[in-house]
Amino acid sequence: MSERWFPDEMPVPGVNAETNGWWEAASRHRLVVQRCTACGATRHPPGPICPQCRSTASEWLDLRGTGTVFTFTVVRQAFIPSLAEQLPYVVIAVELDGAEGARIVSNLIDIEPCDVSIGMHVEVVWEDMGPQLAVPRFRATTDAKGARG
Amino acid sequence: MGRTDARRACLVGIGETRYAKWGGITDRSEYQLAVEAIVAAVADAGLSMDDVDGLASFADDRNEATFAAADLGLPELRYATMSWLPGGGGACAAIANAAMAVETGAADVVVVYRSLCQGQFHRFGQGPGGRAPKGPARVPGIRKARTLLDAHLAFTMPFGMFSPPIAYAMVLQRHMHLFGTTHEQMGEVAVTTRAHAARNPRAVMGGRAMTMDDYLGSRFVSEPFRLYDCCLETDGACAVVVTSHERALDLARTPVEVLGSAQGAPRGFGHGQYANVGMPDDDYTSAGARTVADRLWARSGLGPADIDVAEVYDHFTGLVLLSLEDFGFCARGEGGPYAASGALAWPDGALPMNTHGGSLSEAYIHGLNHVVEGVRQIRGDSTCQVEGAETCLVTSAAGVPTSALVLGRR
Repeated sequence: MSERWFPDEMPVPGVNAETNGWWEAASRHRLVVQRCTACGATRHPPGPICPQCRSTASEWLDLRGTGTVFTFTVVRQAFIPSLAEQLPYVVIAVELDGAEGARIVSNLIDIEPCDVSIGMHVEVVWEDMGPQLAVPRFRATTDAKGARG
Repeated sequence: MGRTDARRACLVGIGETRYAKWGGITDRSEYQLAVEAIVAAVADAGLSMDDVDGLASFADDRNEATFAAADLGLPELRYATMSWLPGGGGACAAIANAAMAVETGAADVVVVYRSLCQGQFHRFGQGPGGRAPKGPARVPGIRKARTLLDAHLAFTMPFGMFSPPIAYAMVLQRHMHLFGTTHEQMGEVAVTTRAHAARNPRAVMGGRAMTMDDYLGSRFVSEPFRLYDCCLETDGACAVVVTSHERALDLARTPVEVLGSAQGAPRGFGHGQYANVGMPDDDYTSAGARTVADRLWARSGLGPADIDVAEVYDHFTGLVLLSLEDFGFCARGEGGPYAASGALAWPDGALPMNTHGGSLSEAYIHGLNHVVEGVRQIRGDSTCQVEGAETCLVTSAAGVPTSALVLGRR
């Protein structure tokens, strides 16, 4: 098991036919994005059809797991009781490298809230929440400070 | 639209129950409040329940029109709709749907209603904690999604984006980054509408004055949002009666016309920033209402400069600034300075806004109370009446597919 940052009581993902492959890849610590095999456009969250060309054919594109903070918030209220001890925590939207603009919601861990900024560079770390559930979180890369914008 | 003058839709009745802080109404159910608001609106219109043949609501209303039609003894139910627009995005759409039914002749008298008792059900601001199952600790895993939205929220909830203030705080953080929007500019919305609520006996926060220092001293929920950036959680219901102009002329009240309506979302907006951070930056840092605004102004033949008073959906102060930008009251990125200029204050601002106190200070009835206040302004009997108001913009929730109305008299 990996290091843990969030409590067991975090909501568990509800998965459907379109999103199952993403969570299955995550359980093996693969960060992927859905790509249309007809036109190459990426989309997230995963869906049944390409909004660009309307092809239903798609594949999972493996990403390096690096990206840039698009925006963030520092959460200072414990919306579930077991989070009270680890307030504040940081929620980010990450623009993923190699994903042609696709963004995901995640967390920035191991950082002081006052050091978080839009444009900083981040890389994925995996948190194994249970035997079949791994959740990608992010940590600032060593060049993060140079990238503030 | 091909409608004849005789059939054009008018709002002829409004009804409200008491509004209270969540948990404040325990002597009657949310459903009973719904039917009481409907009865009050029909009485206000000078109509009988026997005249009503349509019901419309929005926001996954728990109080189904089918049961309400039977319990209210409607002679015949000819029209019943629920808007697909999520949450507070659908208030103006529900009115527009009722108006379309009247204008096409599908129904003659449609009552739009919304009842919302967060004290009797789930408090929206609580996140999942309020309904966490009791019992032995579970092993985190995955489960089958209940709905499409549930599958989408799987990409936000496990990361602690539990609740709307967290999702929309991220929108405002980026707006601040791009345009220099400030806490004080957001605070201007909270303080101004609280002052309006002080004159409104229905307002839950009517007796609680707020200064800018009070605002800046309130605790952070999710930065940049403080407690006073977030709307109330309340109990209450309201309703609006829609009928044709021809019929309205026989009634006692000044008919309030729907001068224009529009609903929808731009390409790729999905469920809005609550469930999706992938839309173009230009849409991400907007209310998502620009396509709706363009159509609204085109259909009404009016523009921002023609509007006397505005009731703008205010679940969060910052999103009010984005709505003002989208509807063209100021340039993109200028919502903050526009609010700080005093434009929104009654009676002397350029655009007196949320003259009832809004969701921040009157009550959170998913914005149908904003339509009610719009009717009051055109009738001339608001507690913050804009002198001689002939046009009122009403908007529904920013940050989800949304809707808007221009109300007025010709």
